[in-house]
Amino acid sequence: MSLMRIENLTMRFSGIVAVENLSFDIEEGSITSLIGPNGAGKTSAFNCMTGFYKATSGEILFDGKSLIGRKPHRITHMGIIRTFQNVRLFKNLTVLENVMSGAHSVSKQGVFGALLRHPAQRREEREILENAERLLDYVGILDKKDETAKNLSYGDQRRTEWARALAAKPRLLLLDEPAAGLNREEKDRLVELIRRFRKDFGITVFLIEHDMELVMKVSEKVIVINFGTKIAEGTPAEVQSNPLVIEAYLGMEEEA
Amino acid sequence: MSTWELILQQGVNGLILGSFYALVALGYSMVYGIIKLLNFAHGDIYMTGAFVCLSVFGALSRFLSGWPAVACSIVAAMFLAAALGFLAQRFAYRPLLGAPRLSLLITAIGVSLVIYNTVMVITNSQPLFFSSGLDSSAGIKIGGLTVTYIQMVLLAVSALVMLGLSLFIGHTKTGRAMRAIALDQDTCRLMGINVNKVIGLTFMLGSALAAIAGGLACVYYGNVQYNMGYTIGIKAFTAAVIGGIGSIPGAMLGGLLLGLLEATGTQLLDSSWKDVFAFGILILMLIVRPNGLLGKTEIERM
Amino acid sequence: MIKAKEMMNSKWLGPGMLLGLLAAMLALPLFSNDYVLIVLWNGMFYALLALGLNIIVGYCGLCDLGYAAKFAIGAYTTGILMKSFGWNFWLTLPMVVLVSLLAAILVGAPTLKLRSDYLAIVTLGFAEIVRITARNLDITGSASGLNAIARPELFGLRLTKSIHWYYVFLVLVILFVFISHRVRSSRFGRALAYIREDEDAARAMGVNTTRYKLYAYMIGAVLGGVTGSFFAVRMTAISPQSFDFTQSANILLAVILGGMGKIPGVIAGAVFFAVFPEIFRDVPFIGDARMLFFGILLVVVMIVRPQGFWPERKRGALK
Repeated sequence: MSLMRIENLTMRFSGIVAVENLSFDIEEGSITSLIGPNGAGKTSAFNCMTGFYKATSGEILFDGKSLIGRKPHRITHMGIIRTFQNVRLFKNLTVLENVMSGAHSVSKQGVFGALLRHPAQRREEREILENAERLLDYVGILDKKDETAKNLSYGDQRRTEWARALAAKPRLLLLDEPAAGLNREEKDRLVELIRRFRKDFGITVFLIEHDMELVMKVSEKVIVINFGTKIAEGTPAEVQSNPLVIEAYLGMEEEA
Repeated sequence: MSTWELILQQGVNGLILGSFYALVALGYSMVYGIIKLLNFAHGDIYMTGAFVCLSVFGALSRFLSGWPAVACSIVAAMFLAAALGFLAQRFAYRPLLGAPRLSLLITAIGVSLVIYNTVMVITNSQPLFFSSGLDSSAGIKIGGLTVTYIQMVLLAVSALVMLGLSLFIGHTKTGRAMRAIALDQDTCRLMGINVNKVIGLTFMLGSALAAIAGGLACVYYGNVQYNMGYTIGIKAFTAAVIGGIGSIPGAMLGGLLLGLLEATGTQLLDSSWKDVFAFGILILMLIVRPNGLLGKTEIERM
Repeated sequence: MIKAKEMMNSKWLGPGMLLGLLAAMLALPLFSNDYVLIVLWNGMFYALLALGLNIIVGYCGLCDLGYAAKFAIGAYTTGILMKSFGWNFWLTLPMVVLVSLLAAILVGAPTLKLRSDYLAIVTLGFAEIVRITARNLDITGSASGLNAIARPELFGLRLTKSIHWYYVFLVLVILFVFISHRVRSSRFGRALAYIREDEDAARAMGVNTTRYKLYAYMIGAVLGGVTGSFFAVRMTAISPQSFDFTQSANILLAVILGGMGKIPGVIAGAVFFAVFPEIFRDVPFIGDARMLFFGILLVVVMIVRPQGFWPERKRGALK
């Protein structure tokens, strides 16, 4: 069953076409990747899916409901959570507070709860806190919970970001270039981790990435775009043998 | 005076006021465009320009008088204001490039406090009076409408300065670098543009323009006070927002428009309400058209 | 051993010091004269304003350059209701809350979704509108303002002496600290911190940033308004000069120099601002030029220590 469906998505910035007529499905429970050379339109597509950009035309359906015109925070409340390319933690807050931010969309106490601290509010606070600690333990950095986020190593910042995303109890996890800045060994561990996320939390994972190797290892379905349009879709093996894909990537390597 | 003459007279007053706003607004807009800083100290640079103009005019009085003395004083004010703008940029803002915008804004408030209070202490909080010795009533009469020579010179100087600036931004290498940095600082750095130097130059240019306005205001109004930069600072920012902040023609248009609106508004309302009128326009503008009349719309973000 | 020491530090030191300070503040009037009480009252008055502004600037990272307007709205609402309509002071307070909320929505709702520095200029413009309006209208007493505002009664006691106001403001400070603390250590307060740190990331976490900014702005406005009401009856006279830009700048400086977002730092900054000019009032030059030094200090602090003077917390300050 398709959890997210992208239909004829087009994104234009003052005349420049970043994404054109892009269509694909993300199956529930799958690990799906969108890849393409730099500047192919991955990030624009990603930003449309998370509500940070408003698509020029086309449709994005999540669980049958349209996401077009919804603001990012509304989309998060529907059960879609994203990470950022270069890890965007709340730098001056503690690791624990960072992870607790993930719970924002699945909790509801507001201003009056804050001031009155009634039992329902206390209960919710305790749940948020305990869940955050559990997730920090899960990603292996519970001992660093009181440290300020900016003092963490890059790897631990990544872990914090994952714990934060998981705290939102998402149905769909969108990862924006999760392998950026990781070495080979760390990438292998990342593959393991993504699979574990799906297994332990029953979430669907979608990632955009330009690291071919990681994508081929972890994904069940790969969509390849170049110059904003889809050039291939299929299993990693199918995509890898597609002459258009080879050409797109060879072209890129020659330039680089 | 007939109604028409009254409207025209207010139109002339509005244009004069508007050209002051425009000259100050240009500095705001240029700096905002290039480093996204709301340069809170810009109004104080205008005020400093007026003071320097007045002081230099006084010092020159033994050798020069009339328009040549005014011209020399304004040029001196431009140089000093440019130096001040550069110093503020170099020592207060540059160390904070890349810091949160709130920090940058607060630093600008700090710079404003420093300039404002320095002048306040020096002048002992008293206004200084300025007499250029020019005949302030001589001018051309058309029917009941009078346009003085001073007003004509003021308008001509403002127009020339703005024209010169447009040519500079549009057709010189430095002007192109300024526009490029406003779009993408990192790429400019990669392309070998000396970003810090261009930013410094932008501050100097903006400050010099404010000093021209300060000097002209000094001649026109005949008095100078340490707090004269505050209101015009906010109003010039209003003008920059009306025109579309970051846009050079926008700042000019916004300045003139605000001047005209204010002159008309003063005619309709009591003059004690004129600032309320101007700030009301600012708030209204931000609600209705935050990108201004000539501002580029950004990528639509939700 | 180390563990026991840590426990002392984290658990008992903070509350212990707080209780000690509170006891000292309560007992102080027994040993001091009116002058000291008035200076301290002034310190607490600034502390209230700084705590209110801290919700907006320190917690949420919004730049408000017109906080004096919030305080003016409270003072004038109380003043007008008491003088022109003969209301009892305590009954004006709910009205003050209401008017403050309305003003905050009027200014905040359209502008809080814009670029952050636009808010700075709009708040500044709005503050000028409020001040000029107060100066121009008859009901606000034009340039001379309102005077002979009646002193309120509390439990049959008419609040006239310095010592009365010392205790009233002490209670208000405790109340404001309590509110600040509760806001900070809640889901709502954390959301404000997320907005301050990284607005895009906050949105991605599901925070309705526009709405939460408005809430922060409204709470700050109410605290400022209430402080203004008490100021009006304490001084019995208010005039437009009390609410100019210098006032807004002073409060903002207190919040920033004290360390944005840290309650003790903000209070320390405010007290410093209130007491410092008293100490140097008669020293030639320094008295006049104090804002000049503050300006330099501000620039230096922003470059060297942008988090203000109050030390970084060592442990998670969640509880």
